[in-house]
Amino acid sequence: MVTLAIAKQTLEDMLRRKILLILLIVAVAMIALGPSVGFLSPRESSAVLRSLGLAVILLAGLLITVLTGIQVIPTEIERRTVYTVLSKPVQRYEFVLGKFLGGLFTVFVMIASMGIVFIGVLRYQEGHFATEMIQGIMMTFFQMTLLGALAIFFSTFATPVVNFFLSFGLFIVGNMSAVTESLLNNKNVATRVIAGAVHYAIPNFGNFNIQNKLIHPQVVIKDMNVFIMQNIAYALIYSAVLLLLAIIVFDRREV
Amino acid sequence: MAAAVSIQGLTKTYLDVWTKTEIRAVDNLSLEVEEGEVFGFLGRNGAGKTTTIKMLLGLIFPTLGSANVLGKPIGDIGVKSQISYLPEEAYFYEGMTGWDTMDFYARLFRISEPKRSERIKQCLNDVFLDEQAWRRPIRGYSKGMRQRIGIAQALINDPKLLFLDEPTSGLDPIAHAELREIIVNVGRQGKTVFLSSHQLPDVELTCSRVAIIHRGKLLTTGKTQDLTSGDMVEITFSGGDGALVEKLKAAGADCEKKNGASRIPSVAPSKVNDIVDLIRGAKGSVTAIVPHRRTLEEVFVDTVMKAGAN
Repeated sequence: MVTLAIAKQTLEDMLRRKILLILLIVAVAMIALGPSVGFLSPRESSAVLRSLGLAVILLAGLLITVLTGIQVIPTEIERRTVYTVLSKPVQRYEFVLGKFLGGLFTVFVMIASMGIVFIGVLRYQEGHFATEMIQGIMMTFFQMTLLGALAIFFSTFATPVVNFFLSFGLFIVGNMSAVTESLLNNKNVATRVIAGAVHYAIPNFGNFNIQNKLIHPQVVIKDMNVFIMQNIAYALIYSAVLLLLAIIVFDRREV
Repeated sequence: MAAAVSIQGLTKTYLDVWTKTEIRAVDNLSLEVEEGEVFGFLGRNGAGKTTTIKMLLGLIFPTLGSANVLGKPIGDIGVKSQISYLPEEAYFYEGMTGWDTMDFYARLFRISEPKRSERIKQCLNDVFLDEQAWRRPIRGYSKGMRQRIGIAQALINDPKLLFLDEPTSGLDPIAHAELREIIVNVGRQGKTVFLSSHQLPDVELTCSRVAIIHRGKLLTTGKTQDLTSGDMVEITFSGGDGALVEKLKAAGADCEKKNGASRIPSVAPSKVNDIVDLIRGAKGSVTAIVPHRRTLEEVFVDTVMKAGAN
């Protein structure tokens, strides 16, 4: 009950943030205007529209997740609202989980809103519901779940500005998993060690990018459902570990 | 009577990263607050009052020493359901309405419906928050309204012990008087109040005991009445023969006349009987014997100055 109360308050607080609403409006407008850029590639207008839609959802989702993740806990400390919350019978882990879930609900609402518009635009353009796109939207959401957990973890000890660059930086590096994986076979030992450390320690955000496979069906994945479930499990387990670390750090933090 | 708050050698030090020096915000503080009393915790800005309260609430951790709140070590989650806190400059979620704010805090105490709504109504009424304001966002509240909602949220769990940090600072005189009355009422309900304040007249009116700290150290603690009671009395009388003034002077009691009444402004308690006998022996009539009292402000200033005010 306590965790959900904090999550609900966080969601409501985040949905009042103008910057997030502006991001959502701009993203929805870009998705809605997607059909108008189909002329750039008349033969593959559908692929362009799908690619644009998923890219916009990813980019907006990324900004919304980072801006939410870096703010939810530091803002409480900065505004001193944390005093009235943690002086109540609230365990610190309940506070961290509540803040994470509130941020996650915010990201879910935003991505779901963009996704609904995206599926609607595709339905209008193609005459059928492109349900396979839901997989791409879902994968973006779980990618953002992992990124949100990472930002929450950093927010327990880093300032929002430092956290912003850390989260963004690791997201970019984590998206280069194909590169780091290929470097694991490099002849140079040092390169192999560094690539290995980066590949295994940093969340593998690249695994969630299934846009190419969706947009270009010729790319074969043996079993899409298994692939998706594996990635969801990866996101959930990795997020749980990050949240556990966040709780351990925050439990010792003075507010 | 059991101790609601018991502090033993509580110390909090910070390291100044620039000068690499250790700052003792609270220094070996020991004191007890009994159950059911309204206790004033006084000190200048930066004396360590808020740091002490934050340690008692488990928001920050002591460097040394220990403390019990309602018989349990600080930070005990079970105790937190029986205590409440109003921070200095209470901050709230600005977009939330007064009602939603109360609802949020009530949920943190795991108070379920319909009791939750009943408690919210009762607390908002207890702090005289205008009903029309209940559904308005807090961002539109005045300072006085914010303090009222702050006290209301501190009362939501019907606490045994309240920590109030500067609850009346920055309020206009009417809001100030009303808030003070609310605190008095809370004390009358038998709750323990740990009141940190600069408003010494308020503390004098509301607190049965006080402690004064300076630079993190406890300077004095005691009953407000004992601390403010003076060691001299004033005697007023009328009548008396012509030689009385000289006799009083010889007894060490200088007399002054005003509006037909005679007044001896400062008499040691040990001499009161002798002086009264002299007045009555000279056919005078004693009209008043009033013990001198110092204000708490005078006591505070004297105590802090003696300790070195800088």
